Amino acid sequence: MRTARLTPLWAVIAAGSIALGGCSSGTSSGATVTINFPYLWGGPEAQALEKVVSDFNASQSGIVVKGVSSPDFQKQLAEMSGANGFDVSDNFGSTVGSWASKGILEPLDSYMQAENYGTGDFVPTALQSNQYQGKTYAMPIAVHTLLLMYNKKLFSDAGIAAGPTTMSDLQADITKLTKVDSSGNITQFGMRSPDYTTLAYAFGGKWYDDSGKPTPDDSGNLAALHFWVDNVVKKYGADKIKKFESGYGEYASAQNPFYTGKVAMTLDGEWQPVFIKEYAPTLDWGVVAIPYPDAQSNLAGATQLTSSMFFIPKNAPHKQQAWTFLKYLVSPAAMTQFTRALGNLPARTSILGSPLYNDLPQFSVWLNSLKSPNLRIFASEPSTAQYQKDLTDEFQRIANLQDTPEAGMAKVKAKAASYGS
Amino acid sequence: MAHRSVSRGLLFASPWIIGFLVFQLVPILASAYYSLTNFNLFQDPQFVGLHNYQRMASDELFWKSLFNTVYLTVVGVPISLAAALVAALALNMRVPGQWFFRTIVFLPTVVPVVAATYIWRWLLNAQYGYVNEALGTFHLGQPLWLDDAIWTKPALILMSLWVTGSAMIVFLAALKDVPEVYYEAATVDGAGAWSKFRHVTLPLISPVILFETIIAGIFTLQYFTQAYLLSQTRFNGASGGPDNSLLVYGLYLFQQAFVNLNMGYASAMAWVLLFVALIGTLVLLRLSRDRVFYAGD
Repeated sequence: MRTARLTPLWAVIAAGSIALGGCSSGTSSGATVTINFPYLWGGPEAQALEKVVSDFNASQSGIVVKGVSSPDFQKQLAEMSGANGFDVSDNFGSTVGSWASKGILEPLDSYMQAENYGTGDFVPTALQSNQYQGKTYAMPIAVHTLLLMYNKKLFSDAGIAAGPTTMSDLQADITKLTKVDSSGNITQFGMRSPDYTTLAYAFGGKWYDDSGKPTPDDSGNLAALHFWVDNVVKKYGADKIKKFESGYGEYASAQNPFYTGKVAMTLDGEWQPVFIKEYAPTLDWGVVAIPYPDAQSNLAGATQLTSSMFFIPKNAPHKQQAWTFLKYLVSPAAMTQFTRALGNLPARTSILGSPLYNDLPQFSVWLNSLKSPNLRIFASEPSTAQYQKDLTDEFQRIANLQDTPEAGMAKVKAKAASYGS
Repeated sequence: MAHRSVSRGLLFASPWIIGFLVFQLVPILASAYYSLTNFNLFQDPQFVGLHNYQRMASDELFWKSLFNTVYLTVVGVPISLAAALVAALALNMRVPGQWFFRTIVFLPTVVPVVAATYIWRWLLNAQYGYVNEALGTFHLGQPLWLDDAIWTKPALILMSLWVTGSAMIVFLAALKDVPEVYYEAATVDGAGAWSKFRHVTLPLISPVILFETIIAGIFTLQYFTQAYLLSQTRFNGASGGPDNSLLVYGLYLFQQAFVNLNMGYASAMAWVLLFVALIGTLVLLRLSRDRVFYAGD
């Protein structure tokens, strides 16, 4: 009797869940299919992407792409875990290993084979960073390298004629360009605290060995950390540096400390010519390759290459249409238009020499950086995200003088031993 | 008849019963099961027994996050409750404009926590913030509130002092309940203000203090929003603030679940937090046995 009485209750629950399940997006109606395209870009970069989207929508009638700026990694990941998510989005190549190993990404090989789609034109390292265990999971749209940018006015004020070539030059320039008041507070910083993974490449370091095992304690990595800790942190004080850095303005704004002259040098990427046009049009700046350690000119031109890519998640409702759009995004015409608007390096070799990039000030220095034999990529392994987080935590402790470079990197090595378990 | 009223009762309670079963009991049981698996949301869970619980023992960040949360609970809760009590005592005094002062003290409590946190981030900026500017005027130290691992948690506690309004209201109600005759008797016995507070007020409102301590303790064990906002980075990547000093338990659990996709480990962490809260509450009840005075006893 009691069970019979309770039956309507379960019927209500069942009906409710069916109703909820039925709410999933039913956007494919008849001839046109709507695909959702949230992307991480924002501001002027998002506008450039919207232009590409509207061009695509105008170019054909079967697919309507709805783009929306959504610069949040966590939201992106959460949306891919549901039954139905978006169709195409973007991220960095370094996420591919981790996501592919968890089955988040749709492999693209079968789509490519079905159409004999060629990938020979893509910058090899860029394509490679979007592959995992022999399969391609994403297509690169742009590649990025970091170089040493400097403020020409501050350089001439300090009596320095040109950007540094060697690490001794860099060290001397940082000293000349850092100003401190009577109580030891920094008022102008010679160089913004660098991206240590990239600085390590300049010292011949490496973060993975050939078998994909993390090598945080590589001697080049330690040399890079020592360069910064010994010449800068110990000299000016970790607390004074932190205090100065707490006053930095937003990165993508006119208050960026490099634009305001608070820092004289910074390791930054090829999008800066466009950013500077937008946020600091009167800034007098120069850019050079990252300096190499004295007497090791074989390491000249070393830098880190990262890639921006587009992917289709496993739970995308309209995979075939998503592939059609993705192909369009990385086609030579769209890639040129998009990378030119953002001032990013294109991921296709055939358009590296395009005259369209000529009007971007000093962009050629970044284009040339792609020819360096010392171009490095941070391998895209399942452990990459965890490894980078552990490194970032430890870099912070080292820059705070809480750990020596040796002790800090030994700790990361110990943690890395349990990755993937 | 009795049978009929039971089913009618169930019918009336059914919205709650359905809500509890679907939105609470099922997820609770599911998280208990997932805590025994390796589960990344995308692939089928693999049963691993107690591995997730064993892994915590050697997970440095697990202990760090537990420490951060316990720090905020053990140090922060007494300080903010004391502040609320002092405010309640002050606002209980019969002065002109009493309603005005009560409103002022309660007002910050209605400010949305996200907005309040961003205001504090600006106030606590080491270089330009008003807090350090004020400290500088008095020639006091100017800590790197949000950039120095030692100062981030005191900064969170400082922020919590601003929003003691709800505890203050409860204390104020409790103070109103203390019968005036006790104070009169104490005055006759020659008690001063402190003695009256110590021997009359405090014992009589002690059940309310215990209740507020347990509620605030459980609430603080789940601390998340302010730490999450203050440690945010570009693209909202995973971060725990300077030297992970803002990595509170809830934040680490969230990162394990939704950034590292270790759903099994995160579920196990949730269960451990439940037991920490349970043990903490039992300890509090035990400690309070001789110190809390119930008027009805």
